[in-house]
Amino acid sequence: MANTTRLAKEGEIWAVGGGKGGTGKTFITSSTGTTLAKRGHRVVMVDMDIGGANLHSFFGISRPQKSLTSFFESGTRLSDLTVDTDLPNMSLITGDIHSIASDTIRFSQKLKLFRQIMKLNVQNVLIDLGAGSHANTLDTFLIADRMIIVLTPEVIAIENMYHFVKNSLFRKVKLTLKEYGFKEIVQHIWDRRQSYGIKNLKDLIDYLKDSFSYIRTILDNELAGFRIHLVVNMVRNNQDILLGTSIKSVLTKYLGVPILYSGYVEYNDVVWKSVRERKQLMLNYTATGCAKQVETIVDNILNGREVNVPGGYA
Amino acid sequence: MTPEEMKRHLDVLELGARATPSEIKNAYLRLRKLYGGTSIVLDPIAEEFSDKKRSKILQEIEDAYAALLKAGREREAAPMPYAAAAPAAVGAAPKEAEPAGPPPADLVFSGPVLREVRERLGIDLLEISKLLKLRGELLRGMEEERYEILPEEIYLKVHLKNLAACLRLKPAKVVDDYIARYREWKSKR
Repeated sequence: MANTTRLAKEGEIWAVGGGKGGTGKTFITSSTGTTLAKRGHRVVMVDMDIGGANLHSFFGISRPQKSLTSFFESGTRLSDLTVDTDLPNMSLITGDIHSIASDTIRFSQKLKLFRQIMKLNVQNVLIDLGAGSHANTLDTFLIADRMIIVLTPEVIAIENMYHFVKNSLFRKVKLTLKEYGFKEIVQHIWDRRQSYGIKNLKDLIDYLKDSFSYIRTILDNELAGFRIHLVVNMVRNNQDILLGTSIKSVLTKYLGVPILYSGYVEYNDVVWKSVRERKQLMLNYTATGCAKQVETIVDNILNGREVNVPGGYA
Repeated sequence: MTPEEMKRHLDVLELGARATPSEIKNAYLRLRKLYGGTSIVLDPIAEEFSDKKRSKILQEIEDAYAALLKAGREREAAPMPYAAAAPAAVGAAPKEAEPAGPPPADLVFSGPVLREVRERLGIDLLEISKLLKLRGELLRGMEEERYEILPEEIYLKVHLKNLAACLRLKPAKVVDDYIARYREWKSKR
C-alpha cells in the first residue's frame, strides 16, 4: 500500500483530517480543491466522511444523485460516480448520509476503493475525512501524498489532533514493518514497553531503529515522506495564529516528525453565509480575507513552504 | 561563533538562517512561555513532557538565546563591522575573534555584496525600507542590480549613501563601486 501512493499521471492525493468534528475539514477540502481547479488542475474531491457526509453542501448541491453507497453496495466504479460542479475541471464523489457506517467497510472494499482512487484520471484527488481516528480513516489519510490536518484554536481540537497524528504515525510504522515481514514486532514491543523503558511512540520508534539496523533503514526511508501540513481554522487574533507555531514545536518534540505550518483561516461569517447561499466561497467571495488565506495555504502546500506569522508570541 | 554553532542555536529556537534580532527575541519568549508554563497547546499531552524533560528544553532555549544575544552584541560593538560582515566569497572569513579591520582592498560593493552584508548583520530589508522611506522593491532592485528599475544616477547616489550608512559601510567606497558598475551597464545600452 505504501508504495502505490502515486496517482495516475503524477498527480497528488491530498487528504484532510484532524480528529475533531466541526473544525472545518470539509470547508478546507472544498476551498483548497476549488482553488486548485481555478488554477487549471483537474480535480476530484471525494467525501469520505461516511455517515456525516456534507461536502456537496459546499457546492450548492442539496441531494446528490450518486454517492459512494453505490460503490459499496453494488460495486459501481468510482469513475462513474462523479458529480459535476460549476467548474468543468472539478467534480465530486459525494459521500453517503444514510446507509453505511465507517466500521462496516470490509478490508477488501477498502483496498478496492484505494486502487480506484489512484486510477482516477486527474491531477488532484482531495479526500475529506470524517472525525475520529478509526482505522479506515487513518488508512485513507496514509495513502495521501499531502497529509493535511485542520484544527481550531481550542483545547479539545488540539487534544484530538495529537491523538489523530499519533495514531496515524503508529499505524504507518505498523503497516510499513508488516509489509517488510515484521508483522508482530511493533505490537510485541509496545505491549512490553515498560520492561523496555519505552514511554511513548517516539521512544518506540527510536528503540526499533537502535535495535535493528535494517529496521532503521526501512523506517528512515518510509517515514521520510511522513510530513504533516498544519492548518489552523477560525483564528480570531494573532495569538490564535501563533498557536500553529507552538503546535508545530510540540508535535516535533513529541513525535519527531516534520510538521509544516501551511496556514490559517480567519473566523468569518462569510463561510456559513456562502454555504447557506449555496455558493462556493472560492468562486463567489474571492476578495475576502479567508479566501486569500486559502490561496496562501494552497501555495504553501504545493511548494512545501510555511506561512509567515506575525511578530509577538502566544 | 562558527556558522555551525549559529545554525544549532537558531534550530533550538526553531528559526531559519535569516532570522532577525526581533524574531530571535520573539521565538525565545514564545518557547520559554510554551515549555515553562501552562498552555492549551501543551496541556493535552502534559504527561509526555515531564518536569525533567521540560527543564532540559528550557535550558537549551536559554543557552541558545544567550549565545545569540552575545554574538549580536559583539557584532554591534565592533567599530567597523564590515570585516566580519564581508562575504566569505571574497576572502574575508567571518571570524569574530579577529580584530575588525578595513575590508579587503579588492572587495567591490556590488548589489549582491550589499545584500550579503545586510543579511549577515541580520537587518531586514523592511527595516531599511522604513528607515529610509524607500520602497522595498527599489531596495531589492538595488541589491539585485536590476538597473532598469533604478532612478537616475544622481538619485541613486543618494540612496546608496544612505544604504551604506545603514550597513555601517564607508559611503564613498560603496557609491564609487556601485556607480562604476551602473555606468558600465548604461554604456552598453
